[in-house]
Amino acid sequence: MERYDIAIIGTGPAGLEAAITAAIRNKKVILIGSKDLSQKLAKAHEIRNYLGFPAVKGEDLAQAFQAHLDQMGLSITEERVSAVYAMGDYFALQAGENMMEASAVILATGVVQGKPLPGEEEALGHGVSYCATCDAALVRGKKVAVVGYSAAEEAEAEFLGEICPEVLYFPMYREAPQLTDRITVIPEKVVSLDRSEGKMLVKTEKMDYPVHAVFVLRDAVAPGQLVPGLETEGPHVRVNRRMESSLPGLFACGDLVGTPYQYIKAAGEGNIAALSAVSYLDEKKRSIRNG
Amino acid sequence: MVKKINEQEFLSEAKAADVAVVDFNATWCGPCRMLAPVLETVSEELGGQVSFYSVDVDECPELAAEYRVQSVPCLVLMKKGVFADQSIGFKPQPAITGWIKSNL
Repeated sequence: MERYDIAIIGTGPAGLEAAITAAIRNKKVILIGSKDLSQKLAKAHEIRNYLGFPAVKGEDLAQAFQAHLDQMGLSITEERVSAVYAMGDYFALQAGENMMEASAVILATGVVQGKPLPGEEEALGHGVSYCATCDAALVRGKKVAVVGYSAAEEAEAEFLGEICPEVLYFPMYREAPQLTDRITVIPEKVVSLDRSEGKMLVKTEKMDYPVHAVFVLRDAVAPGQLVPGLETEGPHVRVNRRMESSLPGLFACGDLVGTPYQYIKAAGEGNIAALSAVSYLDEKKRSIRNG
Repeated sequence: MVKKINEQEFLSEAKAADVAVVDFNATWCGPCRMLAPVLETVSEELGGQVSFYSVDVDECPELAAEYRVQSVPCLVLMKKGVFADQSIGFKPQPAITGWIKSNL
C-alpha cells in the first residue's frame, strides 16, 4: 500500500494551510475533505479580521483559498474518514471501504457540536455500539434500536433489519425517514440510554423502550472516537503549542483544538501543525538512519 | 505470539494460564484487523509473563456469550482462568501494554 508522509483530514483554513506548508516542505501529502472546502467558511457572512482581506465574504475567501491550492497543484480527496488507528510506526486511516496509510496525521476536522446522550458512554461496548457493520453479528436474532443523527444512517438500520427480527429507529433529525416496513420508526426524541439487568432502555420524552442493544450513529464522530486512544478535553483534542497530541505523529489544529474559533487562528495553527509534522518525520528518518 | 484457539483450547490452555489475554474478534470487523498486529507487538513485549490468544466470535459464539462480548474487538484478561478485566475497541500499543501491566 502507498504510504503518505502526511495525511491531513479537514479542508477548512487549518487543514488547507497545513497542506500548503507541508507541500512547500516537499512532503508527500494527502488532503482529505470536501471539494466545497468548509461549510462554516462558505456560510460566513463577512469576515473582518483576516489579514489582507478586509471585510471579505466567506465564499470569496474560500475562492481565494481554492486558487492558492490550484497554484500549488494540491488536490482534495473526497472521503469520509471513520477511524484513524495508531499502528506504532504509522497510521492507518479507514475511509469507507478503503484503507490508507500515512507516517503522520494532521487532524483539522473542526469542532463537533453535540454531546453524547446521558448513559451513552457508560454503556459503550455493553449494549451501546457505534458501528452496525462491526457488531451486527453479536445481536443476530435480537431486538435492537438505532438512534440515527442523519438520513445517511438509514442504510445501516436496513442492514440490521436483515439480521434482527425487530429494529426500532429513532430519527434525531427533521426529515421523515425513508425506510422499509421491517424497520419501526419512532419519531420521539431520545433523552437517555440506560442499562439495566443486561438490557438497554431507550428513554424518550414519552416512553421507555427495552432492547438488547442500541446503535448510536452520527455524521461526525467525536475526536476520541475517530482516533482511539487520543486524549481529549470535551469536544477538543488536547495539544501543546507545537500542536502535538498525546499520540506521537498525530497533530491537531483549528477549531478542533479549542477557542477562539477564528479563521486566522486556525490557519496559523495549521502552519504550526505542518511544520511540527515535518520535524517529526525528519527526526524519525534520522533515528532510523542512525539505527 | 498470539495463538488462535477454538473453544476446546480455550478451556485447556487459556483458562489454565497464569495470566491470559484473549482477543475476541471477527473477520468482518475493521478495528479487529488493525488491533491484531498491535497485539502481536504487545505479545512479544510481555511474552514471558502473559499468554496471548485470539478467538473468532463467529466460530465460538458460546464463548463470546459467556464472556458477555457485545462489541468487538474485546480483550479479556484472565488470571488462572478467572475473569479479571476487559478492554473494548482498538487501542494503541502503549495503552494496551499499560492496561495489561496494571492488571499484573
